[in-house]
Amino acid sequence: MATEQELSDFLKSVEKRAFKRSVYHTRDEEAALDIVQDSMMKLAHSYGDKPTAELPMLFQRILSNTTLDWFRRRKTRNALFSNMSDFESAGEDGDFDILETLELQTDSEGTESAQDATERAQVLREIEVEVKLLPGRQREAFLLRYWEEMDVAETALAMGCSEGSVKTHCSRAVAALSKALGAKGLKL
Amino acid sequence: MTNSLQNRQDILQDRFALKLTARLSGGAADLPYDISERLRAARAQAVAKRKVAKLQTAGSVVGNGSSAALSWGASDGIGFWGRLGTVLPLVALVVGMLTINSVQNDNRAQEIAEVDAALLIDDLPPAAFSDPGFVQFLKTNR
Repeated sequence: MATEQELSDFLKSVEKRAFKRSVYHTRDEEAALDIVQDSMMKLAHSYGDKPTAELPMLFQRILSNTTLDWFRRRKTRNALFSNMSDFESAGEDGDFDILETLELQTDSEGTESAQDATERAQVLREIEVEVKLLPGRQREAFLLRYWEEMDVAETALAMGCSEGSVKTHCSRAVAALSKALGAKGLKL
Repeated sequence: MTNSLQNRQDILQDRFALKLTARLSGGAADLPYDISERLRAARAQAVAKRKVAKLQTAGSVVGNGSSAALSWGASDGIGFWGRLGTVLPLVALVVGMLTINSVQNDNRAQEIAEVDAALLIDDLPPAAFSDPGFVQFLKTNR
């Protein structure tokens, strides 16, 4: 059984990546924070007595399901208030503006030159833009497999699909990212 | 040949993907202060609501004692023989009541049979009681 400290350490180790993953999916920082908070609460409340080794897989599943719930709720809300939303400006949904993600960020690192830091931040933003543009399942498979460093079987379990599907999603995602970043002249 | 090409392609794909995610990790580590703080607060809140496995202490056993006979839950630790032991007194009670009912019926039938037999073996035939004159005779003799 995971102790309170172990649970806290585990959550600390995954919270930032979980937040960024949710941002890539939802493109909404507030929603991503809510999703991560809900996922943490569900994990602690329902599975706080599980062994530490089981926590990563449980958390990934909870995070995926909570993200899906968010999309379902938003779909329902949009269906209910579709008339009202006609009067709103083009928002986060269909008309995604790449320029919105190119906000200037302050970079306080003093160990690298300003040019290097700017280039690094630029590459990161471009990667993030392309990751956000991937189809949902491809993005999920790519992030679980390579960012969360799960193997194919674990990714398949977390996504509720076959291992073959995971390989296909990952392959397509990497090909799409490689093509898009190559077209922008970015080298890693 | 095809397999080795496929493997090489997989390795290149994995390598490229890991380079990408290494960049993403760098970005995730540099989250703005307010978001890091909100995540920290969310974490603290979640840890505070952590589920703790319930230990079976003496106090909880005593507390559960009053409702033990009413619960059939699978998690109460009662096995097949325990349940059988619980049902057995109920079965004995039902069987006992049926036996008492049967014995009482037998006794009642026995009493009626004795009365009938006494009437039939008497000197006076039962048909005499339906005779109006004999009934009148009995009334006047009282």
